[in-house]
Amino acid sequence: MNLQAIKAIYIYEMARTRRTLLQSIVSPVISTSLYFVVFGAAIGSRIEEVEGVGYGSFIVPGLIMLTVLTQSVSNASFGIYFPKFLGTMYELLSAPVSFWEIVIGYVGAAATKSLIIGSIILATAGLFVPLRIDYPLVMLLFLVLTCVTFSLLGFIIGIWAKNFEQLQLVPLLIITPLVFLGGSFYSISMLPPVWQTVTLFNPVLYLISGFRWSFFGQADVSIGLSLAMIALFLAICLAVIWWIFRTGYRLKS
Amino acid sequence: MSTIVSVQNLSKTYGSGLKALQHVSLDIAEGEILALLGPNGAGKTTLISIICGIVTPSSGAVEVAGHDVVNDYRESRKLIGLVPQEIALEPFETVMNTVRFSRGLFGKPRNEAHLERVLRSLSLWDKRDSQAKELSGGMKRRVLIAKALSHEPRILFLDEPTAGVDVELRKDMWETVRELRASGVTVILTTHYIEEAEAMADRVGVISKGQLLLLEEKAALMSRMGKKRLRIELQSTISSIPPTLSRYQLELGSDGGSLVYTYDVQAERTGITALLNDLSAAGLSLRDLQTDQSSLEEIFVGLVNAEDGQNG
Ligand SMILES: Nc1ncnc2c1ncn2[C@@H]1O[C@H](COP(=O)(O)OP(=O)(O)O)[C@@H](O)[C@H]1O
Ligand SMILES: [Mg+2]
Repeated sequence: MNLQAIKAIYIYEMARTRRTLLQSIVSPVISTSLYFVVFGAAIGSRIEEVEGVGYGSFIVPGLIMLTVLTQSVSNASFGIYFPKFLGTMYELLSAPVSFWEIVIGYVGAAATKSLIIGSIILATAGLFVPLRIDYPLVMLLFLVLTCVTFSLLGFIIGIWAKNFEQLQLVPLLIITPLVFLGGSFYSISMLPPVWQTVTLFNPVLYLISGFRWSFFGQADVSIGLSLAMIALFLAICLAVIWWIFRTGYRLKS
Repeated sequence: MSTIVSVQNLSKTYGSGLKALQHVSLDIAEGEILALLGPNGAGKTTLISIICGIVTPSSGAVEVAGHDVVNDYRESRKLIGLVPQEIALEPFETVMNTVRFSRGLFGKPRNEAHLERVLRSLSLWDKRDSQAKELSGGMKRRVLIAKALSHEPRILFLDEPTAGVDVELRKDMWETVRELRASGVTVILTTHYIEEAEAMADRVGVISKGQLLLLEEKAALMSRMGKKRLRIELQSTISSIPPTLSRYQLELGSDGGSLVYTYDVQAERTGITALLNDLSAAGLSLRDLQTDQSSLEEIFVGLVNAEDGQNG
């Protein structure tokens, strides 16, 4: 294992994060605060409680997931797309590193960044609404697993993307709708039965549900199922990356 | 000298079906400067990319210091520094950070003293805190060299190091390469400038259309392939070559005051002695003699044309 290389990639990527610290952190915090104002205040004044939890508090796990998912995908996809775009990929490919070491470096840095942002949002949320976290360790586990899994997804997108449009379109067209329709701002029990069934096909539902369970001890689907689903995504992403590296897809001729 | 890179029967066919390399075999000796000379599209970059692990070979094998570049890539790649043909740097990163990153990526522990030496030797030390985007083209190229040298490689590949670089900087680059060789690094460079191969290399390999046409000591190559010209200045002008000299390959200068004799250095007899005797027998007295040798350029054009003739 070339630990030096993993460290070098990780440090280098984190340095990029530091250079763009303001935009990396300020914009998610501002948009989250806006969500609180719009959803919490406007809608929350009509829906007082969802399953015994104040609406403002109820949406906190979904909001964090929304940000963490989009951030993980965009951080990781940009991180690996950049060397491709700039032509500096030659160095990674000619270095004495295995593909997994490259993945650990890039995905580790992207996941760290979204974990930091997720924590900041959690803290910000605490300023707006009363929060309680029943199962902090489960919460942390979910957060970390989500950051890692979706950074892996971002890594795949970054390798697949041929231009900046593709790079930005996927998070916009796929991730954001899935998060919105996955119960970030409502419990699926509030939907008509047909839509409940449709929603069960949305993978993000399981993440949000499980994450919310770690806060309030209640969920749309069982916590076991949520964990199983995230393990499944993780496995799928790892398999795709394994395939990419085995075939050199969009990396090597 | 021992072999440090051994290329055996290497072929590469790209997905498009294009045969970029065909059965190339060559050994590179430790400590030498090898120039790979060939026109654009000859396959030089492909060859380097396979040795460095960026392109997967279709068939054949490469060993670097005895390590197979595919199966034992960690060991082989540690020994290699690569300076790519295209300048590629992250615009907002500082010189020092980029170089530090490269060293780490190649598995070497931090060593700021070494990096300082490298940057100083490439006149980049003053620029260590500058972002890449603030640097001139020549400096960027040197940053790429610094990155390649950051992990103390034994072999350095320079892919067209002076393409698009002005004459002054080109001379600097040659100087840098000589210093590198003096420090024990094996240097392989590609170029389509013949004068560059001529100025720098110990050995020259000529690649055209994916094939290695020739690989030879530069000096031997030039004398083996080279024709020499003997220019004979006459005391007086003549209007035609005397019939007694018709058996020699002679050309009369346009002013009538000189003769040019072309001969093959490699031939058993150059015929110079006989020619000089016959010249004086013909009553011509000489004012001056001068020889010049054909350059690599002429040799190269000859080779590539011969190849085209065979194919066509
Ligand atoms: N990734 C690639 N895919 C398909 N063809 C390629 C690729 N890279 C190079 N080629 C082709 O292979 C041939 C050799 O290219 P290259 O090795 O770059 O030559 P050189 O470096 O001598 O100019 C060229 O015809 C080039 O167009
Ligand atoms: Mg080339």
